Amino acid sequence: MSVTRRGVETPVSDAAFAIEATIARLLVLGTYTAIGMVLLGVIGMALTGVDPLGVATAPSFDLGRIPADILALRPEGFLWLGLVLVLALPIGRVVVAGLGFLAARDGRLALVSLLVLLVVTGSILAAMGLEG
Amino acid sequence: MIAGLVLLIGGAGVGLFGSLLGLGGGILLVPLLTLGFGRPLREAVAISLVSVIVTSSAGAGVYLRRHVANLRLGMTLELFTACGALLGGLVAFALPGPVLEGLFALLLGYVAVSMLRRREPARAAAPTAQTEPAIDADGPLVEGARDGFTTPSPSLPAAPSEPATPDAATALDFTAHLSGPGYRVTHLGLGTVGAVFAGIVSALLGVGGGIVKVPLMTLAMNVPLKVATATSNMMIGITATSSAVIYLLRGEINPYIAGPVAIGVFVGASIGTRVINRIDTRVLRWLFIAVLLLTAVQMAAKAVSR
Repeated sequence: MSVTRRGVETPVSDAAFAIEATIARLLVLGTYTAIGMVLLGVIGMALTGVDPLGVATAPSFDLGRIPADILALRPEGFLWLGLVLVLALPIGRVVVAGLGFLAARDGRLALVSLLVLLVVTGSILAAMGLEG
Repeated sequence: MIAGLVLLIGGAGVGLFGSLLGLGGGILLVPLLTLGFGRPLREAVAISLVSVIVTSSAGAGVYLRRHVANLRLGMTLELFTACGALLGGLVAFALPGPVLEGLFALLLGYVAVSMLRRREPARAAAPTAQTEPAIDADGPLVEGARDGFTTPSPSLPAAPSEPATPDAATALDFTAHLSGPGYRVTHLGLGTVGAVFAGIVSALLGVGGGIVKVPLMTLAMNVPLKVATATSNMMIGITATSSAVIYLLRGEINPYIAGPVAIGVFVGASIGTRVINRIDTRVLRWLFIAVLLLTAVQMAAKAVSR
């Protein structure tokens, strides 16, 4: 399983290289997509004359309302979608890594990935608990 | 519209300045939003977290493609930074604003003193430094860049490298499993404790936490500086997300402000990584230290006056 990189014997396998390359593509493409969405929202803000520092109440986050806002070309729809993508990217990275570790039969790191996802889920539940 | 442009330019300045000096945007963005734009501290922290996730994801993509970041070590440590971030995110809503401002002032002072203690960057870098990628603490990859903050210094020596031995015995050892080319990870227990602390700092103050993680990995865990900075950058994503979702669901993220700022930080950091080799960062560094100290005083004064 070990490979030689720069002449140094390492415990890094080809599978690990493949996981890293897949995650790298996900992160780069995902970042550009997220920034693209946010940019559309900012352009929408400029076109509709939204003053970000002047609005009394900022639009609240409602995941279910994002598709309708986007279809109605409301800037907050694009902004929220972009921001949600930003937050989802690291989670996606952990999911891909976990599946990759599982495929490579690396049970310990697959378990670590699962635990990381559980902590993030815990954050969401805790926030919902605080909200309620 | 003008306010949006000002936010975008402010974010770009933060991203540019931060990437030139090897820092994430949080340490600059939170004071800019609170002292400069009069936004509440929690909102500023939330927006800062979003911005550091953007730069972290972009940077991590590059690091992983080049196999500079240690994915296995990063994922193991980020389990603990995420726990710290969850804790910090909850504590942030229990602490009064002035306490958070006081803590941020302390962080600013600490970073300023850390930068003062670093040696002056060598403009005539060694051939290896010119050809190999250099990495900042929280921001995207910097090609061949060296600055006084991330360059190994007498107070932050490069970790000694030990050859990894991937035989059957070490394969059973989890610590060896986390090691990388030419080095073996040590003191994982200490690393996990430090990672929890880094997560708490990140969630409370809206910073990437590289200021904690990089020294921890290089000094305590025997991880080479370049790998440590790349791995720290990668870890920021999930660390910041763990607390950012709390801020999001608590209604602390204002999309009208977060949008222009995030784009600005992304563009500024991207420009910074491209021009860093053409800019003498020594003057910039002293200016930055002065700004940090001044901001620390202002933040402390604001905390005390309330």
